[in-house]
Amino acid sequence: MLSTMNEQDTSLWDKQRNRIVSKKGGWFVGDGVYCHAYDMMHDLVGKTSYMQVVMLNATGRLPERRVADWFEAVHICLSWPDSRIWCNHIGALGGTMRASAVASTVAGVLATDSRSYGIKPLKEGVAFIQAAMASLKGGMSVEEIVVNECEKHGGKPYIMGYARPIAKGDERVPAMELVAKNLGFSVDGHLKLAYGIDRELMTRFNEGMNINGYMSAFLSDQGFTPEEVYRICATLVASGVNACYVDMRDRPAETFLPLRCDDIDFQGKACRAL
Amino acid sequence: MEARTHQKVTSRNDVFADKITTRIWEEVSSEDNPYIAASNRCHGYDLIELVQQKSYVEMFYLLFRGNLPSSDECQLLEQLMIGLISPGPRHPATRAAMNAGVGKSDPQNVLPISLTIMGGEYLGAGAVEGAMRFMRKHRKASPVAIAETMLVELAGERPKEGDWHIAPGFGSHFGGVDLTPSALADVLAGLPGSGALLEWGCEFSSALNREGMGWLMVGVAAAVFADLGFHPRYGAGLFQLLSAPGLLAHGMEQANKPITAMPFVSDKAYVIDYE
Repeated sequence: MLSTMNEQDTSLWDKQRNRIVSKKGGWFVGDGVYCHAYDMMHDLVGKTSYMQVVMLNATGRLPERRVADWFEAVHICLSWPDSRIWCNHIGALGGTMRASAVASTVAGVLATDSRSYGIKPLKEGVAFIQAAMASLKGGMSVEEIVVNECEKHGGKPYIMGYARPIAKGDERVPAMELVAKNLGFSVDGHLKLAYGIDRELMTRFNEGMNINGYMSAFLSDQGFTPEEVYRICATLVASGVNACYVDMRDRPAETFLPLRCDDIDFQGKACRAL
Repeated sequence: MEARTHQKVTSRNDVFADKITTRIWEEVSSEDNPYIAASNRCHGYDLIELVQQKSYVEMFYLLFRGNLPSSDECQLLEQLMIGLISPGPRHPATRAAMNAGVGKSDPQNVLPISLTIMGGEYLGAGAVEGAMRFMRKHRKASPVAIAETMLVELAGERPKEGDWHIAPGFGSHFGGVDLTPSALADVLAGLPGSGALLEWGCEFSSALNREGMGWLMVGVAAAVFADLGFHPRYGAGLFQLLSAPGLLAHGMEQANKPITAMPFVSDKAYVIDYE
């Protein structure tokens, strides 16, 4: 076969063997710990917030403190201790069957790699508003942007970041608007566009912007890409999942929504012989 | 801040199911405790009877497909399961298991850790669904013609360095044709239960060989899963399941060794380059 007949070029892999080249940083025993050219113990510890370092590691850029403070606030908005929420439910199930806090929290976090909720829709939301901004700059009106987007979904207002599932309205948007105002942020291009889309959707469908739409537009104005937002938010729901884990871990085992046999609606084949 | 009227938050009153429904497993409660199952049935068959009369592979197929496999299907699935049982000690998912093992991570976390890495889109479970869909989409076209067209039309996408996966499930590995998937595919293609997609994939793989590409293990798995009737969305999880024994075995092998039993790159070989 070809792979045994010809000498193959494996230099890409050969030069990485037994060697790590890091673009992020590292620990040198007796010297120091480095992170994106910062000496972590001298430049970062006690001088920056934890969220600033999270963002530094995710993007390679140390953001100004207020951007990190905004991000920290939005983490509170997006993770609540309600065990009915899908990722939190997993944490509670971990608690009731005595999985560890780490395993249960990580399992709940893993669940947010989801098409329906969690971080992936946020990535889509950022991508949408940035594409919409490109359309606006290309001469399209807000109305045309909305009509075009709705046409992709059979005329329905299914735009990522708008028309919240489960409930109408979103209490998290005014909460984050206040945070942004108190931190001294202005309303810039993407957010202005998002408000325009919100008005158009309210007029046409009585549907408005949700926290995804607000967050996506705000972070686009701060210069973040969809992938950067996804990476920063990797453990977004950890706090709420952990809370639900703890709630059930401290109660008798298997008492979280216990199911009797007949609580499952079996709809399959009737009893049959082999 | 621009003025915006906020909607009052109200429920959409979505109607959720009263109960979980399933077609797979039936638990019949005992007479004196509604939480205790007196019998368990998988797609209608009693679990204890299955234990006594059926093989693990038959049971595995029944669980997912709803009916017992033919002997040909059973043989094909069993041989694929053997072929996929361990991705080998160099695979990143196995190394994650070994790292967890030697790091004294809780034993119950070793498998989830490695399976999470095995979920990757590069030679991992994340690539299987795409490979199943690719072969299903092109199954009626000539594999040789498709390969030749793709080699021409996608030539500009060939990366300047690193491997090229020209189609989901097919490409180069470490700069050459991966031999093990091709050998496995050849064996499986010779079985009486072998199906059309595996045959299609073998021809497609052969047509890529001259460009240093061919079957990848995820492609072989995808072809057989599809031929056995599994829906593409099942592909990722099935691939993880079938590779799990090897991941766990390698992880646990390291678990009783000292933390120094695996390499720790020296400071000298650890280079920071921010550019």
